[in-house]
Amino acid sequence: MKLYDYILSPSCYKIRLMAALTCVKLDIHPVDFHPGAEHKGAELLALNPAGSIPILEDDDLVLTESSAMLVYLAAKAAPEWLGRASAEEAARVQQWLSFSGRLTASLGGARLTEMLLRPGDIGALQTQGVLALRELEAGLVEQSLRGMRFLAANRPTVADIACFPYVVLAPDGGVPLDPYPAIRLWSRALRGLDHFIEMPGIHRLHELKPEPHIEPGEA
Amino acid sequence: MHSDTTGSWTPVALSADLPAGTVMPVQIPAGSLALWRTDSGHTAASADRCPHRGMRLSHGFVRGEALSCIYHGWSYAQAGNCLRIPAHPGLVPPETIRVVTHMVEEADGVIWVALGRPEGRPPGLEGLVPLRSLTALANIDAIAAAAGGKTSPQGIVEVASGTGTICLLLSRQDEDRTLIHVLLKGITDQAARIAAVRSTESLRRKAEDIHKKEFAQ
Repeated sequence: MKLYDYILSPSCYKIRLMAALTCVKLDIHPVDFHPGAEHKGAELLALNPAGSIPILEDDDLVLTESSAMLVYLAAKAAPEWLGRASAEEAARVQQWLSFSGRLTASLGGARLTEMLLRPGDIGALQTQGVLALRELEAGLVEQSLRGMRFLAANRPTVADIACFPYVVLAPDGGVPLDPYPAIRLWSRALRGLDHFIEMPGIHRLHELKPEPHIEPGEA
Repeated sequence: MHSDTTGSWTPVALSADLPAGTVMPVQIPAGSLALWRTDSGHTAASADRCPHRGMRLSHGFVRGEALSCIYHGWSYAQAGNCLRIPAHPGLVPPETIRVVTHMVEEADGVIWVALGRPEGRPPGLEGLVPLRSLTALANIDAIAAAAGGKTSPQGIVEVASGTGTICLLLSRQDEDRTLIHVLLKGITDQAARIAAVRSTESLRRKAEDIHKKEFAQ
């Protein structure tokens, strides 16, 4: 399975994270997204006419939508991540998978504008981002009242992975995360999962490992 | 908010939002604080700035009974004194390296931070069950107006909801930002609690509209 990847892309990170959590080995092909704009070159446009990354290639299957890639990885390696235990759960997974597109457009748009100086109405993108975060926060509060720690169930599903990266990186686009206690606990729960991996800007929970001890003179 | 001549208590967070071994940022009028809970359950509030390089300590992590900075791992005790500097493992940090701390009280599922040196304890909230905290881009007057303007003697805005009452414990963050702690009285079943979450979202939208029309500069 070949992933056309860019280390700083939250959408590419979704796929790397999902693969790590489900113990799938990816063949990573780094793309020079910035400044080279390799994803807009002839070779990658032939794979994905939309000119976006990530792209996941497995034999003759070519996926260009990150949510579809998450579902593919889960279906192949870890079906419990699909969240199909009940009609409500399956619907909630689809609800948040679609919603994740709004996070990409708003928080992701604000991040591209702030970090890569892409043209965009930063104020409008941040306002849309705050509305999306409020919706996610309320959704998580409701889930906790149902006794569930994640977006669709009491265990993580592809829906959580689809929403997680752009939310955690919201401050890159100038949108603070301070006002969202439920999002903070949800992010902690995801970062504490076995096999969790990091990306620049999203770190693991240091406290899960014992305190390192260095003897004087050793370093 | 309870006041006396020397200081006051302000409600900064719900107990449920700060499990053992975690840290979160909270706002008081003077700025941001790192509110944290040790592994053994003690709460503490420190200035949200590591004296070493200025990193927010609320980005840090709690291990055991200490709060550590995410940047270089300098660790602080509840009293604010520096316990450990990982790059100098043999050094006992001098007493002068410390973060400013605030008194913290926790009662009835709400965490309060002292502004100044209040003599009494924070007001009791017996019989109220915390639901959630949310921030509104609106001042207290706009929130009271959106809620119908009924305020209890403890300064809590009350909204009738079905058989019970939604109580809004308000904490001013700045001129046009208010932290709302939602507490429920007589609303116990799951469907009614979820309905209360949704009604607080509507109430915030209404308060922000009122604020924009009547109070914003």
